[in-house]
Amino acid sequence: MVTRINVGPIHPSTHGVLRLVVDVDGDTIQSVEPHVGFLHRGVEKLVENRMYMQSPTYMEKLDYIAPLAYDEAYVAAVEAAQGAEVKERAQYIRVILLELQRVASHLLWLGTLANDIGNFFTLFMWCFRDRDLVLRLLEDVSGSRMFYVNMRIGGLKSDIPAGFEEKTLEVVSYLEKRIPEYEKFLEKNPVFLERMKKVGVLKRDAAIELGVTGPVLRGSGIGWDTRKDKPYYVYDKLHFSPQIRDEGDCFARYKVRMLEIKESLRMVRYAVKLLPGGDAIGLPIKLIMPAAKNRISKVSRETPRGEALMYLVADPQRPYRLAIRAPAFINLFALSELCKGERFADMFAILGSLDVVMADVDR
Amino acid sequence: MLTGSLLPGMFFGIVYSLGSWLNSGNMWVSLLAVIVYAVLVVVLITVFDYMFGWAERKIMAKAQSRHGPTKVGKYGILQNLADLIKLIAKSNYAPRNAKKFIFSFTIVLMLAISIFIILLLPFSQSLTVANLGFGLLVIFVALAFMPIIIFINGFASGNKFAAISAERSVVMLVSYEIPLLIIIASVAMLSGSYNLVEIIAAQAATHWYVLLMPIGFATFFIAMLAEFERPPFDIREADSELIAGWLTDVSAPYFSLALFIDYTRMFLGSLVITMLFLGGWSGPGLLPPIFWLLAKSVAIALVIIVIRATMVRMRLDRLLRIGWMALLPLALVNLILTFIIFVK
Repeated sequence: MVTRINVGPIHPSTHGVLRLVVDVDGDTIQSVEPHVGFLHRGVEKLVENRMYMQSPTYMEKLDYIAPLAYDEAYVAAVEAAQGAEVKERAQYIRVILLELQRVASHLLWLGTLANDIGNFFTLFMWCFRDRDLVLRLLEDVSGSRMFYVNMRIGGLKSDIPAGFEEKTLEVVSYLEKRIPEYEKFLEKNPVFLERMKKVGVLKRDAAIELGVTGPVLRGSGIGWDTRKDKPYYVYDKLHFSPQIRDEGDCFARYKVRMLEIKESLRMVRYAVKLLPGGDAIGLPIKLIMPAAKNRISKVSRETPRGEALMYLVADPQRPYRLAIRAPAFINLFALSELCKGERFADMFAILGSLDVVMADVDR
Repeated sequence: MLTGSLLPGMFFGIVYSLGSWLNSGNMWVSLLAVIVYAVLVVVLITVFDYMFGWAERKIMAKAQSRHGPTKVGKYGILQNLADLIKLIAKSNYAPRNAKKFIFSFTIVLMLAISIFIILLLPFSQSLTVANLGFGLLVIFVALAFMPIIIFINGFASGNKFAAISAERSVVMLVSYEIPLLIIIASVAMLSGSYNLVEIIAAQAATHWYVLLMPIGFATFFIAMLAEFERPPFDIREADSELIAGWLTDVSAPYFSLALFIDYTRMFLGSLVITMLFLGGWSGPGLLPPIFWLLAKSVAIALVIIVIRATMVRMRLDRLLRIGWMALLPLALVNLILTFIIFVK
């Protein structure tokens, strides 16, 4: 007998306001249909009615787990439209901040994943404790703990404060000790491995067909990483390699993100070492933009959730149109494919492994 | 509210033990003694449940690098009382689809049964309401009612999550109950009795059974975790999947009872484990026997709490597989080994 269950939009583990209509036969899932749009704010339209540099604050709310990633992507799109160059020191600092943001985002994901599969808040609290160290670093730079709005055309709002490098290296070496500890906590636990391995397998071809990006794609054995394949800023100088696992199951996606945290920490360490001197401050926010050089600019960025594309059609004063390819939106719709034939309890492990942010999905 | 629902528990205890007292001496004196005993045991259970609730919050907080409750009372010890008052003060509501009487009565019945079982347990050589010859079997017969009551409650609530939880509770019953009973059989075989007092006396005379049959102890402990829905086997009320399982639509006053049931069952489980494997009240003898019994039970309960802080929830089909592929063979191996080594 097939039962139709309505999960959400208010439910402990739908990561926000996601509604899933699930058909289960006993404990086996027949179909899952995600219903989205509960958090739709019309950001793309709002941007059309604002000056260029009034919009980053909206962009940050797109993905409140990793605000800086969208902030940077939008500003980069505007820069591409204006034809503005980013100062070299600012490029390094942007990379450092973005990678720190990726670490913070992945730590939050790890905690919520552990919570979804039933580890009652233990790992969640540990991850939040460690994430806060990273947030404090970002706060030191921007003055705000969650929404930074730290990017300006051609540079940053504020340069890094004195002593930031040492503090960063301290946090990086602390986290480099912590992350293996969490891996041990989970991977030595046979119950965790049983819940994650061979669950929600996304085949290579299906991954391409569904258009998933980011760790979900790399967990299916495809090494596409915008930072490597369409390098921006100084990523090509940092000698990193995208993390790939071939299995395509929840464990592979988990492992890819864990490896990415380590890789990002290594990159931060290296970038801090290479950090050049000079000026990193961008144009003041109130400065009226000169006429746009390129009418259309396309910028794709590797956010913690996947590849975000900013498609900006520029008018002199305001954007004519901004279209955003939200990685979480496209990754979320792999859920119905992944859940077919799995157990009801596994749906939440799979959803957790996709790492969706509903604000990003609904825009 | 709380004491009101404790009454059925005492009632069950009294009715049950009436039979054994009717033909021994003065009926009225015995009846009075039973009532006093029952009240004392209920007070004991309440105190221990309360302390377990506090200890669980504090230990979980410690494991998660938090502080836990600190504001209400010293070390937050009155926090649970404050929460209880808050829960009881809320209005009682049952969903439209619910079969209201069954929905609320089953929860009271579960509490009554768990208290009834503790009433039947001996707390020392002489401190017992009824020294039943088949006490061990009676306990597990009464325990086997629990999943069925949860099943009824789940369907009575008219909620789909509760219904799934109800189905799960029956599947779980199939997976852990048989190994549990086989281990009990080997304990009985080793001690030559189903009487708890005699089982403990037999352990005091030789060794604690945890030393004589470690496989049996491990199997029993895991099966008991499943029996009492403790993590990693909290599959019935998996909060990240089923919201709260069969408790999803239970409103605050009855929810407080459900919490009370949870801790009562944990207390019961640790008492039973202590009695069957850790020598019950046998100890160095400096302190009264009941102290050793309770101290060992508390230690077991703390282990159960620490397991909660560190384990990921198991999936239903995995539990079924573990029940049949691991626990059942281990229980049988334990039974055969016990027979070959100690009995033959």
